[in-house]
Amino acid sequence: MLGKLKTGEKGRIMNIASADKFVRRRLLDLGIAEGSEVCVKCILPFGGPVMVESCGQCIGIRRKEALRIEVERV
Amino acid sequence: MMNIALIGNPNTGKTSLFNNLTGSYEYVGNWSGVTVEKKVGLFRNGRDQLIDLPGVYTLNPLSKDEGVVTNFFLNEPFEKLLNILDASQLRRNLHLTMQLLEYGAPVIIGLNMLDVAKNRGIQIDIAKLSQSLGVAVAPVVARSGKGCNELAELVTGGVIGTGKSNLIYYGKAIETGILELESKLAGKTQHPDRWLALQLFEGNPYVKSYLETILPSGEIDTLVNHVSVSEQQNSGSKQALDQIIHRKRSEAIDKIVTEAATTMENKKIPLTEKVDMLVTNKFLGIPIFLVLMYMMFMLTFDWLGFPLSDALDSFLSGPVTSGITAALTAAGASSFIQDLVLDGVVAGVGGVLVFVPQIFILFFFISLLEDSGYMARVALVMDRLMESVGLNGKAFIPMMIGFGCNVPGIMAARTIETPKERLMTILLTPLMSCSARLPVYALFVGAFFVEHKATVVLSLYVLGVVIALLLAKVFSKTLLKGETSVFVIELPPYRLPQARALWRSTWDKGKGFIKKAGTFIFAGSVLIWLLAYAGPEGVNVSMDDSYLAVLGGIFAPLFAPIGFGTWQASASLFTGFLAKEAIISTMNIIYFVPDEASLQGLLAVHYTPLAAYSFMAFILLYVPCLATVATIYKETASKRWTAFSITYALVIAYVLSLVIYQGGKLLGLT
Repeated sequence: MLGKLKTGEKGRIMNIASADKFVRRRLLDLGIAEGSEVCVKCILPFGGPVMVESCGQCIGIRRKEALRIEVERV
Repeated sequence: MMNIALIGNPNTGKTSLFNNLTGSYEYVGNWSGVTVEKKVGLFRNGRDQLIDLPGVYTLNPLSKDEGVVTNFFLNEPFEKLLNILDASQLRRNLHLTMQLLEYGAPVIIGLNMLDVAKNRGIQIDIAKLSQSLGVAVAPVVARSGKGCNELAELVTGGVIGTGKSNLIYYGKAIETGILELESKLAGKTQHPDRWLALQLFEGNPYVKSYLETILPSGEIDTLVNHVSVSEQQNSGSKQALDQIIHRKRSEAIDKIVTEAATTMENKKIPLTEKVDMLVTNKFLGIPIFLVLMYMMFMLTFDWLGFPLSDALDSFLSGPVTSGITAALTAAGASSFIQDLVLDGVVAGVGGVLVFVPQIFILFFFISLLEDSGYMARVALVMDRLMESVGLNGKAFIPMMIGFGCNVPGIMAARTIETPKERLMTILLTPLMSCSARLPVYALFVGAFFVEHKATVVLSLYVLGVVIALLLAKVFSKTLLKGETSVFVIELPPYRLPQARALWRSTWDKGKGFIKKAGTFIFAGSVLIWLLAYAGPEGVNVSMDDSYLAVLGGIFAPLFAPIGFGTWQASASLFTGFLAKEAIISTMNIIYFVPDEASLQGLLAVHYTPLAAYSFMAFILLYVPCLATVATIYKETASKRWTAFSITYALVIAYVLSLVIYQGGKLLGLT
């Protein structure tokens, strides 16, 4: 799960289907879908959002959404 | 004359390009969706118009400001499209371009941020890209303006191509569906059938309701269903139509990008990421934000703003006033006119103008935060806190803008995607202490809290934020239950703000304040002075027998429990509804003083420090000003919510001031 990666770890998105419909759409808009390689840049405290980099762009999503995105470590 | 629409993804330098092409004053921002209104500028050739559309990733909208773009395509006439692309994010940007090509209007592409792409090791063959898309592609540097003249000539010049409208083959089921819709529409629309069909299959709600004005809605639903089912039968996968369309586009884009761009490995860590390691750090993120805010307030109120305002005050009350007096005497003006001008207009308008330096400093910092890209980080850092009260981090941005002026703050709430969170943000943004309230604080802290000016003012700003967060919690538990909150934000790379753009956006925000002083406050001052000059017993009465005193006196007893039961206070609160800074003008006129310093001396007689703080807290919360109320009505399109925004604010303000004043008295404060 993307939400389980530590800062600096990289992963490839395997399955995004269980994420919230809206989040999925927005990630798709930003070019992040199954197969995209992502890298966790930063995790905010108290269960705050995670900052993820993919193809040179950074996005922020909530931890609970990140926990619904399947990734494999690379 | 031609109408040319500027369209592109958020954070691609669209607004900078707009400024460079039109040379008009525009607002330049960096966080998603700073362009919330439709803005039109004139090209330098003085003939053609450029329309700035909000940044969108696709024509199928999720939020209200994205819907502006879809509506534009459906309802507004335009001749050409200027599509700006971020060369470093070509794949993502081309998704929008594909939809524009499907729309079939003449398109020109401005390729921006080639330098950023180069730093990432991406080389783009512009000629090849242009050939694959079938439209002209021109390189530009939107920030510096390089290449903009050539682009402007290209766009405003003669006929340009429409590109290849069927660049992508979407598979048998969808293509058949497109033909089917085409035959149903049978030329009953001026929009391209292919584009309409694809948007419909993607689930674009605006296009769907447009089609429902032509065809029966049952027929449309049947068609979409039919296409969806036959697609699933053909491919054997369970994917929804929008996903398939997206995938087909991605495949086509991949092919184009692979041909036109070469990527080399580049292991250098960009500066942006280094900065982000610091400002979004687990432990340092929030402290850094708070320190920055504190610096901003100290500069605005203490270190820089106060001495400047003081200097301006002595200039207005000294040379300017005596100059006007001399001129009036020389012109032989009657004593009535002299009094009107000096005690009404000069006192009223001058009292407000004194605060121009402080307001510009504040706007400068807000522009700096927007232009640099830090605003999006603030949203990220604040999301956890906002989530706990039922909002998301993005709601923090309208609130920050609200510190400058509530009106653009409320409009910026359009970028929030879920209706519930948007409504809450609209209702709560007026609690953010806007720059027009600042003169009132500045006046009172100068009179009562000289030692702790910035701290006391900061406490009021914090009070506004805390109340807003508490109310958000209450509202999301009661009035606006349900609907999950979501948060996805793009964090654009940091950009060094440019002096010219920064000045432009500071001026753009600040000029409204000066304009208001010359119109609204001017007229208000004259009216207030007349009300204070005349009374039931005739004209030129003593102030305590004036109409103003009578009017204020009716409501004064209401305010006695919260520390300011004078007719002067209630009269100024009334004018404060028109514009918060009018409170200052009114006081200047009522207390009949030439400058800020002597007004402060007089206030010390009428207020205790505790009552002054209670008064400031009341000003902070009591009602949104007239312009804000109008904006709330425009944005919510609901009389009920507008009325609610006024009532709840009044109640909260009264209760809080009561607690401050009576509680303070119990604690032995004065």
